[in-house]
Amino acid sequence: MVWVLALSTLAAVTMGLLALRGHVDKSHIALVYLLVVLAGSAAGGRALGLTLAALAFLAFNYVFLPPYYTLAIQNPVDWLVLAVFLVTSIVAAELLDRAQVRADEARQRAAEVERLAMLGSETLNAGRAEDALVAIAGVIRATIGVACCEILLERGTPPEYVPAARAGDCGASATLDAASLAAWVAHEGVPAEEHDDRTVRILARQPSDAMAWGQRGPWRQAAGARVMLVPLRVRDRTVGVMRIAHTSPIELDPAQQQFLDALAYYAALGAERVRLAAEAERAEALRQAGDLKNALLAAVSHDLRTPLTTIKSIAHGIVEGGARAGDGRAESIEEEVDRLNRVVGDLLELSRLTGGAIRFQPELNTAEDVVGAAVRRVSGVRHGRELRVVRDARAPILIGRFDFVHALRALGNLVENALKYSPPGTAVELSVRREGPMLVFTVADRGAGVPEGERERIFESFYRPARTPPDVGGSGLGLAIARGLAEGQGGSVRYQPRPGGGSLFELFLPAADEPAL
Amino acid sequence: MRPESENAGLATVARTVLVIDDEPKIRAVVRDALAADDVRFLEASSAAQGLARAAESRPDLIVLDLGLPDAEGIEVCRRLREWSAAPIVVLSARHSEGEKVRLLDAGADDYVTKPFGADELRARVRAQLRRARMARRPGGDEPLVLGDLVVDVARRTVTRAGQAVHLTPTEWALLQTLVSHAGRTRTHAQLFHDVWGASSGDPQGYLRVYIAHLRRKVEADPYAPRHIVTEPGVGYRFEIRADGG
Repeated sequence: MVWVLALSTLAAVTMGLLALRGHVDKSHIALVYLLVVLAGSAAGGRALGLTLAALAFLAFNYVFLPPYYTLAIQNPVDWLVLAVFLVTSIVAAELLDRAQVRADEARQRAAEVERLAMLGSETLNAGRAEDALVAIAGVIRATIGVACCEILLERGTPPEYVPAARAGDCGASATLDAASLAAWVAHEGVPAEEHDDRTVRILARQPSDAMAWGQRGPWRQAAGARVMLVPLRVRDRTVGVMRIAHTSPIELDPAQQQFLDALAYYAALGAERVRLAAEAERAEALRQAGDLKNALLAAVSHDLRTPLTTIKSIAHGIVEGGARAGDGRAESIEEEVDRLNRVVGDLLELSRLTGGAIRFQPELNTAEDVVGAAVRRVSGVRHGRELRVVRDARAPILIGRFDFVHALRALGNLVENALKYSPPGTAVELSVRREGPMLVFTVADRGAGVPEGERERIFESFYRPARTPPDVGGSGLGLAIARGLAEGQGGSVRYQPRPGGGSLFELFLPAADEPAL
Repeated sequence: MRPESENAGLATVARTVLVIDDEPKIRAVVRDALAADDVRFLEASSAAQGLARAAESRPDLIVLDLGLPDAEGIEVCRRLREWSAAPIVVLSARHSEGEKVRLLDAGADDYVTKPFGADELRARVRAQLRRARMARRPGGDEPLVLGDLVVDVARRTVTRAGQAVHLTPTEWALLQTLVSHAGRTRTHAQLFHDVWGASSGDPQGYLRVYIAHLRRKVEADPYAPRHIVTEPGVGYRFEIRADGG
């Protein structure tokens, strides 16, 4: 329509100017033609402008430049007029076209910004993270103009990609296994398209110099795919997969692809929000479970230890009341109560340790304080063995940064263990030294030692070496607890055979330098 | 068990001991443990009843079980301390240092963990009754003599084996507060408050290092301290008995 109008205008102008041919200057005629070309460019675009320029050039030459009605030119100056006219028309048509393209782009950008803003407000308005994701899927579907947009997230055990949000008509099922394809896209971190012949094509990006910094090149799309999958990534981590499907092949121009990138980032943020919300819920559930466990531990402690107190007291009463000579049964009851109490304590400690319920409070502590407290703790249960602290009174104060109570428990367990497995009449030696960044507490005994194959197994819960005498007592948890308590605060417990026979148990704890007091 | 010559005075005046525990069997155990001493024995089976009996009979000592059905033990402790200065010995089934600290900070004087022996409970109760009877502060009016260690709080001097011991101001402040609360565990927080006032900061983190320096000056063997005893995870206690027991 625009073309017909423009060509008629050109014809009419030529006719009108023909009537005035003797009275107007050639340059005036050129200006009038230029006006027609510009009007045509503005209304009909570059193609029309260039066509008009070519026709006007011919008409100008044929009708207005002598000799008339030929394409020959008499006066050489007229060549110049003609050339200037042609160049001016072409340049003008081009410039106008570019301006229009810019204007179109600007309009498109404005529309994109508007949609992103809408997306932002939709996601903010949605109360739950899942609702926000549904809103994002809806906006993406409408913006790209496809029939279906799904956002798939990893759920369940074993983890599987399942649709968490869906907008539009996504049909019954995809031609391929949607979940495994999504998992593959998520793993590879690249977009893919699914073709009707059940093949999948990775969408590689074309390198592009024209892209601004931070933008990515357009995809090399193959014709005919009606399903596309895009990984949703936040901070180099895939958090989900977006799947768009349409009734006809999806073909995106570079601008649309870039826009899809931006939308995918929004969707990724939405997916991340869903994940964080789920994590927060889980943390809350765990906290409640932790509270419950603490309450349970308190109840178990109370319910087990209260009857033990009664039994112990009755047994003591029997002993004091004068049991028959040689009858050690009352003493046995008292001993067994104490042993049962230690087992209860060890079980509670191990359950806290494995449940992560132990909080370590590292503070500046001195090695001699721990050693002194450990010696004091085992003073009642030496089983006739000597405990000797090897020390140098002139040595500087050894300082570490560790949790005193848990360090004491670990060291106490090692000492008790050594006393238990030492032959009567031998001494257990306790010493401490600094070794680089660690304090090393060494407990040395002259027991039978541990065979090579069992040197790690002795740190397992309830493990007892095969040759353990049955009356050795204890719960079989002491070493496991010691190691757990050391490792929980950046230390460790190691076993070494002792030169000359026996065992060396070494407790490593982080050392510290003496502060300037 | 060791015969205690100091408790001869206890026999002359009957002391009143109130036991607050919901378990009749534990109340019986406490009663049996204290039967040898001349004490008037009162019982309560709940926190509410215990607080009421304490108010009407003004006991000389209270034995409080933490596992009461109607109130948190620590709350009972706090309520008693609002008006009573009587020693409180707590019975607890939880061997948690954090709980001991909270109890001592709330005003309890000592604690015994279940299962306890009769001897242990008897010793703790006697120690608290004796301490409550002592009018003067240990080491205040006359020098405190513990084996070869002599602490004279009034003159601010310490001698060990006849040799004067030089203490820095912080070490002296630490020793003074430990001695004036001798026989009782002072929690870390209480020691911070005694020595550094309300201030918080670096010195508090160095408490254990100051203790190590102090022990090197007043203890014969810092690896086996007999005077300044560590109560793991709770605080420190100055032992009055020279044998450290």
